[in-house]
Amino acid sequence: MSVTNSVGDYVAQVRKGGVDILEDCRHALESARRINTRHHFLNTIADERFIAEARSVSDAAKKGRTGRLAGVALSVKDCLCVKDVETTAGSAILRGYHPLFDATAVERAVKEGAMVIGKTAQDEFGFGGFSVNVGKGFERPTNPIDASRSCGGSSGGAAGLTRAATFPHLAIAESTGGSIVCPAAFCGVVGICPTYGRVSRYGLIDYANSLDKIGTMATTVQDAALLLEVISGHDKNDSTSSPRTMEPLDAAASIEGLRVGIIKEAFGQGVDAAVAHAVKEGASQLEASGATLTNVSLPNVAKYGVACYYIIAMCEASTNLAKYCGMRYGAHGALGPQFNDYFSQVRTQHFGDEAKRRLMLGTFARMAGWREAYYVRALKVRAALIEEYQRAFKNVDVLLSPTMPMVAPTFDEIAKLSPLQNYMADILTVGPNLAGLPHASVPVGNVKNLPVGLQLIANHFDEKTLIRAAGGLQ
Amino acid sequence: MSSSTGSSSKGFTGPVVIGLEIHVQLDTKTKLFCGCTTKGKEPNTATCPTCLGHPGSKPVLNAKALEFAAMLALALNCTINKDMRFSRKTYFYPDMGKNYQITQYESPLGENGVLELDDRTSVRIKRVHVEEDPAALVRPTEASANYVMVDYNRSGIPLVEIVTEPDMTGAEQAREFIKKLIHVLKYLKVFDENEGIIKADANVSIKETGYTRVEIKNITGAKEIERALVYEIGRQHDAHKRKETIVQETRGWDADVGVTREQRRKETEDDYGHITDPDLPGICFSDERLEELAAQVPELGQQKQQRFVKEYGIDPVDAATMAKEQELGDLFERVAQSVDPILAARWLRRELRRVLTASGKKVADVEETHVLELLQLLEKKTITDRIGQRLIERLVQEGISPAKVVKDEGLAQVTDEAAVRDVVKKIIEANPDVVKQVKAGEEKAFNFLIGQAMRQLKGRAPPALINKTLKEALEVR
Amino acid sequence: MTVDEALIDAVAANARITLTEKERIKFLQDFKDILDAFSTIADAPAAENPAIHPEPVRDVVRQDTPTPCLSQDDALRNTQHKKGGYFKGPKVAR
Repeated sequence: MSVTNSVGDYVAQVRKGGVDILEDCRHALESARRINTRHHFLNTIADERFIAEARSVSDAAKKGRTGRLAGVALSVKDCLCVKDVETTAGSAILRGYHPLFDATAVERAVKEGAMVIGKTAQDEFGFGGFSVNVGKGFERPTNPIDASRSCGGSSGGAAGLTRAATFPHLAIAESTGGSIVCPAAFCGVVGICPTYGRVSRYGLIDYANSLDKIGTMATTVQDAALLLEVISGHDKNDSTSSPRTMEPLDAAASIEGLRVGIIKEAFGQGVDAAVAHAVKEGASQLEASGATLTNVSLPNVAKYGVACYYIIAMCEASTNLAKYCGMRYGAHGALGPQFNDYFSQVRTQHFGDEAKRRLMLGTFARMAGWREAYYVRALKVRAALIEEYQRAFKNVDVLLSPTMPMVAPTFDEIAKLSPLQNYMADILTVGPNLAGLPHASVPVGNVKNLPVGLQLIANHFDEKTLIRAAGGLQ
Repeated sequence: MSSSTGSSSKGFTGPVVIGLEIHVQLDTKTKLFCGCTTKGKEPNTATCPTCLGHPGSKPVLNAKALEFAAMLALALNCTINKDMRFSRKTYFYPDMGKNYQITQYESPLGENGVLELDDRTSVRIKRVHVEEDPAALVRPTEASANYVMVDYNRSGIPLVEIVTEPDMTGAEQAREFIKKLIHVLKYLKVFDENEGIIKADANVSIKETGYTRVEIKNITGAKEIERALVYEIGRQHDAHKRKETIVQETRGWDADVGVTREQRRKETEDDYGHITDPDLPGICFSDERLEELAAQVPELGQQKQQRFVKEYGIDPVDAATMAKEQELGDLFERVAQSVDPILAARWLRRELRRVLTASGKKVADVEETHVLELLQLLEKKTITDRIGQRLIERLVQEGISPAKVVKDEGLAQVTDEAAVRDVVKKIIEANPDVVKQVKAGEEKAFNFLIGQAMRQLKGRAPPALINKTLKEALEVR
Repeated sequence: MTVDEALIDAVAANARITLTEKERIKFLQDFKDILDAFSTIADAPAAENPAIHPEPVRDVVRQDTPTPCLSQDDALRNTQHKKGGYFKGPKVAR
């Protein structure tokens, strides 16, 4: 672990006074630039905005006004809008897009004294689990522990920077099918993905609207939870935003009596034995602290989760991507061709391969004649899978599994995978994402110096229990 | 390919079959999914990230638009869908903000309604739903321009779409349908007749072709809809007579020239690929809410007419007019609580209305208490009809209080027979030659004497009394 | 259901994507593999009602009160295709 002090400790120091915020921020910027030259975690470094925000946070601190995140550098996944800062969602088709507003999550963090240092690298629009499907002309982020390996995805840059930052830093990330916990696992950091609707999606560039969730990454559970508390809460600008208030999150709360369900299917073949072993050790650690372990079976999630997730995600995504056509923002073409030709030209030129593939699969699955069998069916299966989780939660407080079936693969290994094999790698994370359940990944040891992540899943809106359980692993 | 099959298989029998799909802009202050004003003037000055389709923006539903549309659906006798959803209809065009339109595919607001027209025929309503308007395309002035201009002020304005069954049998009935629909929209106050736009797509087919359906798209305005239908029916008949083939196709209406034109067939017919919009909630109408909305739907003209006749026993023609004119009808109902409804209906519909039209005034310009006074004076026979007519004019033009004027100017009816006899006697004495003619049987002469007496009595005596008195006086003589 | 080139072409056209010959062949194979794997959904347990969201989202509306709009400049800021206050878009007639 690189960061010695937690972010919470740093903020406490800032509030006490005697921290030169501006100076710290200048160092942070230098650091970020150096790290980025090596690993490209950031698509954009927002120097001007960062220093300007640092100034105002510094001024406010001198007057005794400090927020809960005062002086903390905030990286924002490139699919969240940051006002006047190039926001691309990792796609060439959004080059040049400078949003006119901050995403609500960003706004709330900044209000509490965080400063946006830059936009983190990701798979184009979130389409991937290894951050290799970066958009045309974009650089992929490399794993901070071993640069020949993937950071995971799609929030690869966020996880990498969280791991590598030598300054107080928190990351806002996003998950549709596992894009927070997967890179958190591969980079050895904490990733929290809350319940669907917990954090406003206003300002989030959509991948799949019923699946997208904004979450947080940090090096400790309490730091990640702190950021989550700040950015959560109802937002009238997002119709799917939950009106429920989140209970305070306490990573240090006792886990005595916590009922943990070990997901049977998550430890079978297809999961690396060493990974399974490390995760089982983590489970034992929970038991030693007073939790009880039982076995839980979620056979339908295991069998049908991937198909169900991808059908819904791609259908929604294919409609979300229709707006990218060389009008109003982003990449443009030369006007002249008739509209259908113009649109096709711009889109063909600027979408990457995986984006095209998902666009087409998603378009297909909702076309007349196939819609019933794929799109409508998947929504009904989703309801059944949620029911399977609900039955499990009658007997347990949290579910436990490895986050990913393997440790971070090399780029060469990834290049050999077929698209379908890429999708199947999500097998352990699609379930909670499909069901909108809050889930987290916590590092539990290494396999040959590569980190292993343990995934915890709690019931809807029960982040309190999730954080309590996650804290028990630290 | 004029087909002789077809009619029985489609179930049609009439010479012409028309179905309409009508889009009406709802008169809300803000757009359907964002708080931008609907009244933007300069181009692109009434926009925001949502109606511009900016990545990261999200829609939030306008409660008023929903309410207006629900009232319309109820007024059209639709069954309201208790679990209403929005959907995305994906297609690409330069006037689209997101290249999908938020509309309602599977769970529209209302279905299976009916609108009864004034001639007692009815048109079934297949569905009523809400959707957003696209932006406005403006063609550049240079003919050689290789681009279009787009104004997003219109993007996101709430539309209600009304789809009829193919029940209309001709352009005239279609016209009546549109007229009736507009009447309903105005009654409900959900449509601004001056600023709001009505557009229609029409499906037209004739018997001779086996009801091969031709769709005419994008006709703007009620008048144009009728024009387009008349033209298209004519075109199809003419083509059939010339033994030309009518194909199932989509045509556009050229309002300037007054013709429908074949539209360039698209290379690929877009599959809209409907999905439920996951950015928006489902809307549940509770029974209480539906009752609330139904209560807000002011009674429609026809039902009101029937009710007037039934409840007040008034003349159906009077009832029809007052049902149509809301202020007049409302006034009638109020005064009918205190005076004879039949009398009130007659005087309001025939006299008051006539005077208002002549002086360019409205019911609201007239003092209601004065109207009531007048009706009471008439009912009690305190004044004659003739005096009543004069007073109603002064009531409207000068705002006089009839009761006061009658008192001050002594306009009360003369019912004193002695007084009338007195006047009649004087008239007879003053016109001996005329009397001779009356005795000889000349009706004109009699009427002359009546006229003289009425003038003398200044219209304050009931004609019947003058008549009777004169007759008696002449016989006595 | 036949997954063939005609289908790939129809879908690509609908999505406004032009494929190279190489891509056409590649996507056809991808489609076959992926749809084959995803068609297991037919065997999966299914509830009667679709879950549009993880938990139902109902009855969220806002009042009909105007909020500030963007200035014309801001609205047009992110594009180079503009003229006289209008956005410019590709032509519609041939």
